[in-house]
Amino acid sequence: MSTAKKEKQNDKLPRWGMVIDLDRCIGCHTCEIACKVQNDVPLGMWRSWVKEIEKGRYPNVVRSFRPTLCNHCENPVCVKVCPVHASYRREDGIVMVDPHLCVGCRYCMSACPYEVRYIHPQKGILDKCDFCHHRVDAGLQPACVEACPTSARIFGDLHDPHSEVARLVAKKPVQALKVDMGTDPHVYYIGLDQATMEIKREVKLVWEK
Amino acid sequence: MGKIVYDVHYQTTLAFMISYYFYLTGLSAGSFMISTLSYGFGFEKFKAASKMGVVVAVLLLLAAPQFLLMQVAWPVKSLWHNFVYLNPTSAISYGAFLLVLYPLNSIIYGIFMFRDNKKWTKFFGLLGIPLALAVHGYTGWILALGIARDYWNTGLMPIVFLFSAMVSGISMMILLIMIRDRYFTKEKQINREIIDGLAKLLGWLLVVDLFLVFCDYSILLYSRLEGQEVAHFMLFGKMAFGFVVVENLIGKIIPMIIVMVPKLRNNYYLLVLAAIMNMIGILAMRIVTVYGGQVLPLM
Repeated sequence: MSTAKKEKQNDKLPRWGMVIDLDRCIGCHTCEIACKVQNDVPLGMWRSWVKEIEKGRYPNVVRSFRPTLCNHCENPVCVKVCPVHASYRREDGIVMVDPHLCVGCRYCMSACPYEVRYIHPQKGILDKCDFCHHRVDAGLQPACVEACPTSARIFGDLHDPHSEVARLVAKKPVQALKVDMGTDPHVYYIGLDQATMEIKREVKLVWEK
Repeated sequence: MGKIVYDVHYQTTLAFMISYYFYLTGLSAGSFMISTLSYGFGFEKFKAASKMGVVVAVLLLLAAPQFLLMQVAWPVKSLWHNFVYLNPTSAISYGAFLLVLYPLNSIIYGIFMFRDNKKWTKFFGLLGIPLALAVHGYTGWILALGIARDYWNTGLMPIVFLFSAMVSGISMMILLIMIRDRYFTKEKQINREIIDGLAKLLGWLLVVDLFLVFCDYSILLYSRLEGQEVAHFMLFGKMAFGFVVVENLIGKIIPMIIVMVPKLRNNYYLLVLAAIMNMIGILAMRIVTVYGGQVLPLM
């Protein structure tokens, strides 16, 4: 199938995506809790969470947040490496795991650049954010979006030029995480702080002081 | 720049069981190579190692997937899902077939060898070489295709895995041949020619292996921040004992000196010590490589 034809066919379908406006985010972690309650996420595991960092020295400190979830990539590594086709990408862009096919080999966990996958401790199969597909299919918003008190999370169809997400992505300067991996993530951030993207430094390099 | 107040980080997705699996497949591939030296390539002096090599290769490759199944959360499901729902872009999908084809080929090769059928032994021996390369090379691919980890995602990974496999396989064969010749033959005499040949081979393969590790780390030190951090973690951080001391000093450099100097090589006690040290070093290499790729957070 040629690329043009594929795109035309996909245009009829929605392409779900999310924009997270960090100017609005107050770091209340409500999205985390809503997700846990909605999807029955086991203790100690998170499908979506808010990374929180503190910059500066007391008393001049500022906190920055980065809500993290599956980026529902256009070209997902997890789908490429899954040996049994359990990880798959729906036509509308949601990356999901088929629990009947998954054997729990954890290969996708080690290949995902965003570290958003985990093994369900009781079921032994892989679990991750699926944009609350059961709610989306019923015409509702994902639980984290609905729970957000400041409407920092905006969910919608990126193919529809009149949707709020599509307008924000078109108008505002947006960023996505780790685009250099070639995964084409579809969760966009407005006002993303560089400091929240830095990895936790565990080792001091020899040439650093 | 910022101090992390709250974050979630999952780590160690592939655990020790995977290291043992890599180690056993490596030993199996290595001993298979030794067994094909005489029947496949015509090096007659290694003939005494052929039969033992193929038996050990088959036994180890029957044991190795058990560790793989222990790692997988649904072992019985994975046994047939891997064959029915195969994904052509996944390294593990190919591995499932290799793990069946390679022992089967080795068994057929062994049967012809024990029946003294030179023609078919050579055929299946040579057929087994690409299979042995693939069955161990693919384990390197599994790690290298985990593109998220800079430490794994290098083209050297399958080659490093292959060389460490051959090295550990030869060390194991040296030990096994010495034990067999010394205790389980009528003459109770160690076949000096074959041990000497294997030791020389081991020495040169160790030189290549060390060179590959040097290439890998010297490039990692100049790569992206994550790669630099992993390299520091391995060379100077918590992993330094496992990587520098156990893997490279005890596992590779000291055995290399022992087997390269003729005076030391001819001392059987030192040679046994070198082989044991090398086997421990390669096991450390498997653990360090599997664990090292995952210790540092990605986000």
